[in-house]
Amino acid sequence: MALQRDNLWYKDAVIYQLHVRTFFDSNADGVGDFPGLTQKLDYLQELGITAIWLLPFYPSPLRDDGYDIADYTSVNPAYGSLEDFKAFLNAAHTRGIRVIIELVLNHTSDQHPWFQEARSSRDNPRRDWYVWSDTDAGYQGVPIVFVDTETSNWAWDPISKSYYWHRFFSHQPDLNYDNPAVFEAIWGAMRFWLDLGVDGFRLDAVAFLVEREGTLCENLPETHAIIKEFRKRLDISYPGTMLLAEANQWPADVRAYFADGDEFHAAFHFPLMPRMFMAVKLEDRKPIVEILAQTPDIPESCQWFIFLRNHDELTLEMVTDVERDYMYDEYATDKTMRINRGIRRRLAPMMNNDRRRIELLNGLLMSMPGTPIIYYGDEIGMGDNIYLGDRNGVRTPMQWSPRINAAFSQADPERLYAPVISNAVYGYQAVNVEAQERSEHSLLNWMKSLIPVRNAFRAFSRGTLQFLDPANPRVLAYTRQFGGEIVLVVNNLSNSAQAVELNVQRYKGYVPIEMFGRNLFPRFADLPYLLTLGPYQFYWFQLRRL
Amino acid sequence: MRTLAEDTFLADDLLRQLMSVGEVDLLVGVSCHNALQQLGEAVQAIERSFQQFFVRQRVVIVNIDGGDKDTQQNDPANSPVAHPTQTVVPGHGITSLRTINRVNATFSVPPAPGAALRTLLAAADLLRARACAVVSPATCNLTPDSIAHLLRPAFQDKFDFVAPLYSRHKFQGLLARNLVYPMCRALFGAGIRELYTDEYGFSGRLASSCLSQNIWNEEAIQARPEAWMALSATGSNYRFCQTFLGEKPPAARGPATDIVEVLRQTVGTLFWCLETRQSLWLDGEPSPSLTTFGPDHELTTEPSNLDPHRIFEMFRTGVTELEPILSSILDPDTHCEIKNLVAIEEGKFRFKPDLWVRTLYDFAASYHHSVINRSHLVQALAPLYRGMTHSFLLEHSDSSPAEMEAASEMLCSEFELQKPYLRERWKTNVEVTS
Repeated sequence: MALQRDNLWYKDAVIYQLHVRTFFDSNADGVGDFPGLTQKLDYLQELGITAIWLLPFYPSPLRDDGYDIADYTSVNPAYGSLEDFKAFLNAAHTRGIRVIIELVLNHTSDQHPWFQEARSSRDNPRRDWYVWSDTDAGYQGVPIVFVDTETSNWAWDPISKSYYWHRFFSHQPDLNYDNPAVFEAIWGAMRFWLDLGVDGFRLDAVAFLVEREGTLCENLPETHAIIKEFRKRLDISYPGTMLLAEANQWPADVRAYFADGDEFHAAFHFPLMPRMFMAVKLEDRKPIVEILAQTPDIPESCQWFIFLRNHDELTLEMVTDVERDYMYDEYATDKTMRINRGIRRRLAPMMNNDRRRIELLNGLLMSMPGTPIIYYGDEIGMGDNIYLGDRNGVRTPMQWSPRINAAFSQADPERLYAPVISNAVYGYQAVNVEAQERSEHSLLNWMKSLIPVRNAFRAFSRGTLQFLDPANPRVLAYTRQFGGEIVLVVNNLSNSAQAVELNVQRYKGYVPIEMFGRNLFPRFADLPYLLTLGPYQFYWFQLRRL
Repeated sequence: MRTLAEDTFLADDLLRQLMSVGEVDLLVGVSCHNALQQLGEAVQAIERSFQQFFVRQRVVIVNIDGGDKDTQQNDPANSPVAHPTQTVVPGHGITSLRTINRVNATFSVPPAPGAALRTLLAAADLLRARACAVVSPATCNLTPDSIAHLLRPAFQDKFDFVAPLYSRHKFQGLLARNLVYPMCRALFGAGIRELYTDEYGFSGRLASSCLSQNIWNEEAIQARPEAWMALSATGSNYRFCQTFLGEKPPAARGPATDIVEVLRQTVGTLFWCLETRQSLWLDGEPSPSLTTFGPDHELTTEPSNLDPHRIFEMFRTGVTELEPILSSILDPDTHCEIKNLVAIEEGKFRFKPDLWVRTLYDFAASYHHSVINRSHLVQALAPLYRGMTHSFLLEHSDSSPAEMEAASEMLCSEFELQKPYLRERWKTNVEVTS
């Protein structure tokens, strides 16, 4: 299957997020690699996903899981060679799967040659590629992102005897975008990968590119100007490729990054994610409805990207204090589960391995407005290891089979980059691809039935959203409409059976067709439409005028 | 033979609304009293209370006496209960995690408070509410704090009945001070200061228990069912408490401010409870413990606009006019003493505590024996209550709150002391006057 030519492909995509290190080790060195990933592309194709988002795979000291890049134009040797990457990319494209890669614009590793040169002397030509100061007094009041680790956004460089600016870890100095050479260097890196054929970039920490005194150094107009320039060059030279913004902000603030459709093509909807978890625990649709009511319209060519879990903690930045306390109390009772302002857990453990809730959340993910992202392993209900430190507990090896090392690697277990999950509930003996492929009713096979339905209806990917407002707050119901294609989604967010009366007068005469079994339901008429739903059950109906 | 359908009292529309709400932690019933403006303010106060103090709880507001849809003014669609006032504030403004559910119980004619309470208890039972409160926008200044004070004891501290306490003028609430409170304290052990109130709280289990009792067609509880609710819980393992709500605004009840009507509603219910719960006080000494949250009730001492002279004249006229009726109710010695009081000069008039207690116990016993029509009997108490009130106003015109409390304690002791007298009269058969 070749890639279809559609510049809006990212709107219809179902994305699978993974780190090459975690997926499959082809050379028995204990670390996943591109040849291994390439071997597993058939698995991903069968799952039904249409794009892969790769976490950073660049050479790096790996002090921040690869987000500390030491070379923008090559592959970390532990994961293979550039040729291996090219082979993977071609194989993915052959299967109709697009590839989005990470690019960290805001900062480099302190091991990057640019920084090594910059710190070597105050007169070095690359000195001005980073943000230096003789004191640590500048930009007072700018928040610290990693509050558990850092005490200041300035770090002392003993070599050049001055301070450098860093919004993230102190080993990640911020690039100085006031210097045009920096912009050109990063554009050069982007061109390198685009020329190889990648389909898009997830641009990390885009809100922080520029610093200005007297501001929070976030979302500044100068930052938007930089993004616009990248986008302009992209559209001219590489049409059909896309930019995805990582901006953990309120939707109204992120909206600026879509501009007039001439900055980012897509951005994560961060606040929706915790509210999906909150709604299920509260058994009340209010959090979801409220946050989507606060979500502004975006240009036609743009798209929100939504997710349940990812490689980071379940961020609780974009919630109120009351909501954060509630999330901690309900989902992170053990304080080890908490990190920064979030929860370092995977989907299945957060749902207490309740298959009904896992399915409901995936149903929400696939039917809410936005492009869904599945985090690797969540399709089989993988567990986590909260004792691994930082966020490594959700980055353990993919569990392929009940054999040694979960068949992730043939290396000695001690050599793996991280131990496989091996507890009684989520361990690889119990949770693995091989077993679930053989079990007709496994979560994996259920996901394989869910995703194609999503893919078959553009109402899900491009449609408008209209909430029905039934009196029962435990039921979340909405329609998605794209042209004449209408889908009605009804979710029971509660642990008990619910009856709900839906006001479907505007669809009077339509016949609802249950989308998984293709069964007809009674035609909509004047009266409220009564539905009963089992605990955590959801319906997807295609509405047809017949 | 009645059919099951005839026995149902919840409207289908209400059931449909309750079905949508599902299980809740907290339920607040608010009485509309055809006062939509005040209802709106009350609903806002309730919402703010939920948003400030119960952000995680499943909650519902029930308008317990909404109007029929046929009349525009009473259309529940126009009711503030039907229209959430909650606004979506971007970011940090959201405080309530869950939906605040709203339910309108609609009636073609305004239901009696007893019927409205029954509806509320049914809602609480069906929704498995853990704690409930009843508030009335027509009679009090609701605040988020006061609503929380009513809910918390039942929700967090497992109390079953939460009575309010107020700061009020020393001459306000005299019926409670001189009759209901001391009498109930002596007979039921329930030292609840405010048994007749438009705002109170209760537990879900007390709601279910009260709902299951076969009393809902009794006339005696239709007007003021809350005292019955509290007293019906005495003698069981229910827990009582009082909670301070601040200043008690003046009552604005309209026709019910007529003392005859007030006595019919309150004392009538009390006497009925004495009868239906006689096993408690006749043969035993119930003593439920009572916890108080916040300060005990407070008295203020601004000048009063009550007219003692007019009250005294009404006492004199009433005792004279009702002599035949009073003679059938009161013990002859008691009656004689009261008649003697009529002749006393107004300035020297005193209705002594022992006579007052004996008078009330005579009335209670006569109510029990139905010596005359019970409604007429209770109404006949009005002039005597006026006499007691006149005496109280004279005696305490310059009293400090502490002195008034001491007098109140003395009266309570008198009620306690004379319980054997009531028991004896209660058990003695009397000839019923036709």
